[in-house]
Amino acid sequence: MPDNKRPLGLIVSVVAVLVMAFLILPQLILLVQSFTAEDYLSFPPRAYGLRWYAFIFEDPTWRKALGTSLLVAGVVTPLALVFGTAAAIGLDRGPVLVRKAMRTALVSPMVLPHVVLGMAIYRVFLPLRFDDTLGGFMAAHLVLCIPYVIVTVGASLQAFDRTLEQAAASLGAPLGVALWRVTLPLIRPGIVGGAVFAFITSFDEFIVTYFLASRQTTAPIQIFSSLSYQLEPSIAAVSGLTLVITAALSGVLILRGGMTGKGAIA
Amino acid sequence: MALRAGRRLSWWGLLVPTVLLYALIFFVPLGVLVGESLRAGSDGPLSGVNYSAFFSDGVTLGIFLRTVRLSLLITLACVLLGYPLALFMRRAGPALRLVALAVVVSPLLTSVVVRNVAWLLVLGREGMVNTLLRQAGLIDAPLPLLYNTFGVVVGVTHVYLAFLVMPVFSSLLSIDPSLEDAAASLGASRTTVFWRVTLPLSFPGLIAGTTLVFVLSMGVYLTPVIMGGSFVTTLPMVMTDLVRNQFDWPRAAAFAIVLLAFIALVLGLSSRAERRIERMRGEGM
Repeated sequence: MPDNKRPLGLIVSVVAVLVMAFLILPQLILLVQSFTAEDYLSFPPRAYGLRWYAFIFEDPTWRKALGTSLLVAGVVTPLALVFGTAAAIGLDRGPVLVRKAMRTALVSPMVLPHVVLGMAIYRVFLPLRFDDTLGGFMAAHLVLCIPYVIVTVGASLQAFDRTLEQAAASLGAPLGVALWRVTLPLIRPGIVGGAVFAFITSFDEFIVTYFLASRQTTAPIQIFSSLSYQLEPSIAAVSGLTLVITAALSGVLILRGGMTGKGAIA
Repeated sequence: MALRAGRRLSWWGLLVPTVLLYALIFFVPLGVLVGESLRAGSDGPLSGVNYSAFFSDGVTLGIFLRTVRLSLLITLACVLLGYPLALFMRRAGPALRLVALAVVVSPLLTSVVVRNVAWLLVLGREGMVNTLLRQAGLIDAPLPLLYNTFGVVVGVTHVYLAFLVMPVFSSLLSIDPSLEDAAASLGASRTTVFWRVTLPLSFPGLIAGTTLVFVLSMGVYLTPVIMGGSFVTTLPMVMTDLVRNQFDWPRAAAFAIVLLAFIALVLGLSSRAERRIERMRGEGM
């Protein structure tokens, strides 16, 4: 790059590389440390192995917490997709004024402080005895995940040529069939993106679940409660596992985004 | 005509399930919270006492102002680290851009708890930074990198940097390079071109990004709890303590509503500033 020969360009490049290191290094350090074979966490580990990963799969507390997290995210993701995709298509078709106001209302859980949302949901679930239940976790996560589906599917719909669906309808397909056979396949990138975001959001969720949980725990809640004793290698292993699961899913997203979103980036 | 009526019905039909769900799990709870905030004690009469407590109990207002200060520090850190990165991404080729983008969003896709555990491993007494500095002979005693404002600013900046970089990057991309070339060809130095042309033209993205980072930082709970120890207290921490340990719902609810109102105010001012800039630009052309 010719810019780099000039001092200002060079400074920008150096700062940018340092900032990128700052962004990615902690996650990498965590991964390295999670493979320690020692009794205590130290940097750098003197011996590596899968010892603590084996431990968390045998330990009933960690197994249960991880299982709960996977179950909740596994149920919430398809539900969020159904609700969110329907809403995004509905928003795409409504009159302009309604569309704008409704969209703002439906994506607002993204920007509202989650502490406030957690409190509010807890306040309503508590007297219904719905707070410390998996159903309660799922219901709360659903409201956090649907906005992501609305945003990603909404973006796909903007690029979608509506005349294709009208063509199907004019050839005699009922609206439901036209939606199912024409529209849905064409907005699939948005649906895949929404699924990834929804799963990660639910799987990683902390604060809202923290309000609801007392006996039931998810992996993030269990990691947090274990932190109050000592930073054990088992915590690093569970965190490492969580990181790998979400990184794998986001990898799917970024690779797909790289193929379909190039126009948007370049 | 029949087709049209069917269509109109259908967009409503598609929205109804989600709207009902939101009503139950989002709008009604928020409404209940507002109602709760207006009661003097549980089941008490209607009153504004919880709101006046916010300003007069001698503690809460101070914590609120410290939360504002913390959020401003985080926003400043995000600008200082994020703006150069956005400039770099503007110049980079498509492959490098994709890598940078992936790196920028990677903390966002990592659980807040996991990110904090990672930072404990990096900044702790026996963590990576202190170990390396000690081995290099640069320090004798570990540096206090955690359990203070510095640790919290680092932890929150790490994740919210994405919300600054993205809008600034997209603002920079929309700048026509010929404007910068014109300034340079008229004799402006590269530094002058940056300060007088590039930076002002990126203001819309900068305003959007700083607003988002500031507003999100006002709601931070877990990072100050883990990385601030008991030395950094934010308003969300006070609210959570009121609910979970003191069962003082009315007060916690009132503080939550004050926080929401403050955030709405900041968002409103920011969108006004953005509109004013657009208008100025319109007149300039």
